[in-house]
This record gives sequence, structure tokens and C-alpha cells, in this order.
Amino acid sequence: MSTIVVLVILGALVLWGINVYNRIVTLENRYQNAWSQIDVQLKRRSDLVPNLVETVKGYAAHEKEVFDNVGRARAAMAGARSVDQSAEAANMMTAALGRLFAISEAYPDLKANQNFMMLQEELAGIENKIAYARQFYNDAVLQFNTVITTIPGNFFAGPMGKTKHVYLEVPEGDKELPQVSFGATA
Amino acid sequence: MTTASGARPRIPDTITDPLSGRRISLLDWQAANRRASWVLAGFMVLLLVAIGYLLALALDPGAAWTFIGIAGVLAIGQSAAAYWLSDKMALAVSGARPATKDEHRYLVNVTEAVALGAGVPMPKLYVIDSPAPNAFATGRDPQHGAIAVTRGLIDLLDRQELEGVVAHEMAHVKNYDIRFASMLAATVGAIVLLRDVVWRGTAYGGRSRRSTSSGGGRGQAIAMVLLVVVLILAPILATMLRLAVSRRREYLADATGAYITRNPEGLAKALQKLRDYRGAPLRVSEGVQHMYFTNPVARLNALTWLATHPPIDDRIARLRRM
Repeated sequence: MSTIVVLVILGALVLWGINVYNRIVTLENRYQNAWSQIDVQLKRRSDLVPNLVETVKGYAAHEKEVFDNVGRARAAMAGARSVDQSAEAANMMTAALGRLFAISEAYPDLKANQNFMMLQEELAGIENKIAYARQFYNDAVLQFNTVITTIPGNFFAGPMGKTKHVYLEVPEGDKELPQVSFGATA
Repeated sequence: MTTASGARPRIPDTITDPLSGRRISLLDWQAANRRASWVLAGFMVLLLVAIGYLLALALDPGAAWTFIGIAGVLAIGQSAAAYWLSDKMALAVSGARPATKDEHRYLVNVTEAVALGAGVPMPKLYVIDSPAPNAFATGRDPQHGAIAVTRGLIDLLDRQELEGVVAHEMAHVKNYDIRFASMLAATVGAIVLLRDVVWRGTAYGGRSRRSTSSGGGRGQAIAMVLLVVVLILAPILATMLRLAVSRRREYLADATGAYITRNPEGLAKALQKLRDYRGAPLRVSEGVQHMYFTNPVARLNALTWLATHPPIDDRIARLRRM
């Protein structure tokens, strides 16, 4: 009789352990998958850059520094081997493209170019997707970190070799959304 | 409440419950909604069984299970049809056509971005050729989600506002609101169908029963009266319940949409623009009004028992308080 009770308790413990283990693995997969979503967008952006540079050069060939910046960012992107390097290169690219679009304001003919307009919308769209994908990534990391640092996940995290993961920082001035204060109680 | 100025975006994940006025977390509210849905679905099943039973008492007490079975089969049939076909029907009657990347690059980009933020698969996208700004979502689960927006909506709203509306629609898909609403509507449809059958049936049956059997008497008469009362009241009650749930889910979709975009103001501004729109209205058949972002019939956004949506001003106020 007592052996049955012991067996049942042991069985329940094992099932519970499997459950916690799976939860940690699932959450880890989720943020890793979220990163690959960001990566896809970063690659698509890099792929559009040569086309954009060619188009802009047709109207503003002398803005050499801007093209060089974009080229450097693209090289950094291609050479990135880790999440940190990719994130850094992505921030470089965002800044370089920002300047490129800023100077294009001075060229009305360029702004009216169909191909340029299409690329501008496409790149704005990708920028936006990166922002959303990054937000989802950070949400997923937050969930993962919470589970592996609270009971019971923290008992499993050590033996499983899981440690807290870092958030992707959004560079200042790169936020799509205006910082609105709603003054809820005012 | 001010916006966090650090690197992490502000997360408005607690909202005011429209019924109790308490602050609750978004996840708790979603869970509460799911529970309410199951309770309501259970209630509908019981109602159908009761109708079947009363029908049996009134007509032929010996065949109670047959009648309950018929009521059940009707409800299951209607629900199954709703489950598999409601999205195709909704898209067909709205006159929506698939959006293409070349023609609607802006809309496709916005939707892809919001889907990434919500962590759901990219829904199928449709455009309705009407100047009236509106949108609806359909599909039984996130894997079969579809969102349709009008040309007027794309033209009227800026990017953040459009993101807000798309996120609201995606929230309906994510929260399984569409599956729930269409299956509930199907159950009400089954009750209405039963009512009509009984109406016609009693026109003959009533006469023939009187001529063949003088027995049965009081019990049957009482059951008949009860049945008539239930059959008249049930569809009305069920519809009112369904609409109350629908209104609650609009609030929840607003809150979820604001959470996905981290930008309640975008959605609030979109609602303002839709409220102030004075152009040609969207032609929508009565059966699908409830699906839209705002009810195409303006007066049905008011605070009444028959409204499918909460008042727009109230939705805006709630978003601004998040």
C-alpha cells in the first residue's frame, strides 16, 4: 500500500519536472525564433540597400559620405557573427539610412521617382517590422528570464545551464513612436 | 501615468474591467473571457436540450430523447457549418478581394509588422472597395485568420492609426472572438429554426392532436404553453447575451490592440476619425454588422441593449486612460 503511495508521488513529481523543463525549453525556443524573425528583416533590408544607393546616386551622386556610411553598415551587417554584432550593425544601418533619407529631402526629382518611393515605403515598413519583432523578442526574453529566476524554474535553470538573457536595447532617437504622455490623472 | 523614457517600451498590460471597474491584467481578462464563453456555450446547450424536452412533453412524451437528439443535431450542424464556413461567407458577402503586395504595399507592410509584434502568423489580407473607413476580422483560429479593410480606411488613417486598427482586428483573431461569435450566432440560429418548425408544426399538429387524442390533457397543455414562452424568449435572451459578450470583447480587443502596438493613442485617434467620418456609409447586411471595427450603422455604436459595439467615445476614453 505505502509503496503505491510512494510510486504515485514519485510519478507526479516526475511529470511535474517534465512540465517545468518543457516550459523552459519552449520559452527559450520562442525567443530564439523571435530573433530569427528580426534577422530575416535585417537581411531583407541589407538586400534592398544596393538598389536604393543606385537610385539615389542618380540624383545626388556627390553625397559620397552618406553612401560610404551605408556601405560600411552593410559590410558590418554581412560580417556580423553574433546577436550583439548584428544588433550593432543594425543600429548603424538605421542611422545611415536615416541620413540618406534626410538628404533626399533636398532633391524633389528623387522624391518623385517611382522606384525611390517604393523603396522608401519598403524600408520604412522593414524598419517598423524590426521594431515590432524586437518588441516581441524582448517580451519573449522577459518571459524566459522570469521563469528561470522564479520558483520552481530556478531549481532547473542551473542544472540545465540556462542563464538570464539580455534584452535588445533600442538606440535613443530610433523609436518610431513619439513619446506621448497621456497625463492619465491630470 | 507617464511614458517610460528608458529603452523598454511602456507596457499597458492592466486595464479597467468595464463591469466591475477594477484594474485587472490583460491576461486575467482574457482568461475570464474564455471562462465566460464556456459558461455561455454550456447555457446554450442546456437551453436546446430543454427545448427538445418541452417539445417532447407537448407532442409525444415517449420520444423525449428523439426530440432532444433532433435539437442537438440541429445545433451541432449549425455550429459545424459556422466553424468551417463563417470566414468564407463573411468575405464573400463583404465583396472583399485579396490584397496584393504590389498594389497594397503599405497595408501589407503594416499588417506584417503588427503580426510580428503580436507573435501570430500573418493573416490573409483583403481589401473592400468602399470609401467608408472600416475593417473586420474573421477566421476560426490564428492559423486561419483573415483581415479585411476598406479602401477608405487605408486612405483616411496614418500609419500608427492603421496599425492600431489592424492590431485590434488581430486581437479578435488571437482571442478567438470570431470563432465564439459565429458559433454562438449559429446556436441562436438553431433555436430560431426550431421555433419556426414548431410554429408551422402546431398549425397542423394542434388540430390533428385534438381530434385523435382527448387524453394527455393538462400536462401537455402546460408543456405547450411553456414551450411557446421559451421559444419566444430564448432567441431574444440569447441575442442579448451574445451582444453583451460582443461589447465586452470589443473593449478587450481595443486593449489587446493597444498592447500589441504599445500605442493606445494610435487606436484612439483612428476611432476619432471613424466617428467623425461623414461620407457615404458602408453597405453591410445585418447579419455581419457585429464583425466590423465600428458598427457600419452609426446608431448601433450607442449605449443600448441592441448595440453590437460599445459607444465609440467610451472606447476612446478607455484607451486614453490606459
